[in-house]
Amino acid sequence: MLSPKRTKYRKQMRGKMKGRATRCTEVSFGDYGLVALEKEWITNRQIEACRIAITRHVKRGGKVWIRIFPDKPFTKKPAETRMGKGKGAPEYWVAPVKPGTVMFELGGVDRAMAEEAMKRAGSKLPIKTKFLVRSSVE
Amino acid sequence: MEAKKLNVEMRQGEGKGAAGRLRSSGKIPAVIYGHTTPTSITVDAGEFRTAFRRITQNTIVELHMGSGVHEVLVKDYQKDNLTGRILHVDFYEFEKGKSLRTRVPIRLIGNPVGVKEGGILESLLHRLDVECLPRDMPEEITLDINELALDRALHVSDLVLPPGVRALQASDQVVCLVAHRKAEEEVAPAVVEGEVPAEGEEGAEEGAEKTDETEEKEE
Repeated sequence: MLSPKRTKYRKQMRGKMKGRATRCTEVSFGDYGLVALEKEWITNRQIEACRIAITRHVKRGGKVWIRIFPDKPFTKKPAETRMGKGKGAPEYWVAPVKPGTVMFELGGVDRAMAEEAMKRAGSKLPIKTKFLVRSSVE
Repeated sequence: MEAKKLNVEMRQGEGKGAAGRLRSSGKIPAVIYGHTTPTSITVDAGEFRTAFRRITQNTIVELHMGSGVHEVLVKDYQKDNLTGRILHVDFYEFEKGKSLRTRVPIRLIGNPVGVKEGGILESLLHRLDVECLPRDMPEEITLDINELALDRALHVSDLVLPPGVRALQASDQVVCLVAHRKAEEEVAPAVVEGEVPAEGEEGAEEGAEKTDETEEKEE
């Protein structure tokens, strides 16, 4: 699963996710993409589930690009713990995703297969998504 | 290449308020610049959408404004990345008889031999920067990839350009290649160096939990 090799600090503040994406908004590497229509923290497990769903559907044909990276640690307090005593321990990693972000790209397959693969990947995510075609492919 | 025709009007208001009102009334704010003074114009959104199903930088557009006609290229455009609505268009007015620089899409034609042998076709260059006269400008550059074998690549030098068109990119730049298909990787959990425990580095996480528990007991 994706996670940073090393970080400067173990825990981060939660931050805000205002507005729409201004980067990663176009299909740059492959021919087809999966775009987020909502804002959410996407976990490294969800990214991995999407990757597996796409790879299995295209039967290892084509090439997949993952355009998001979970570099934000998600902390959690243990169960049945009283409040206070500081922030919990890092549990997993998330990628903050804003509406309009191209999260996955796929190339080397036909449109029908790419559309189905992206649909399967989208169903692994907690947000609404949209299939996108690179403008010069249409 | 056949020029597209658009009817445009002079734009009076400026700024985001006026531009927003134009957009809500079904128009697109635009600008013409180049060798003449910049002019703010509006284009009908429906007309623009019909003319440009796919926006390319190498299509010559005839802008009919009043009695005058401007021959331009679409230099740039802004798009709402969620709805796909065009927000603004930059038209570049070129000088006739003078060469210009633009981008032309590359279209790959055929099914490579390497793909039939089990490889994957990777297209690395989708548009080519070219220099040519406006009348020589190609709509697209086609590349026959039928003979492309496994582990082989086609470069900018392999592109057949029409007469009068010069590529601006390095001749050894790869346009497309057929690579070996990788076996599905089972990504192992990353080992975290330094101070942050990652998913999979259980020792560190357990250690952290234990510290928390100890703190509670101390309480």
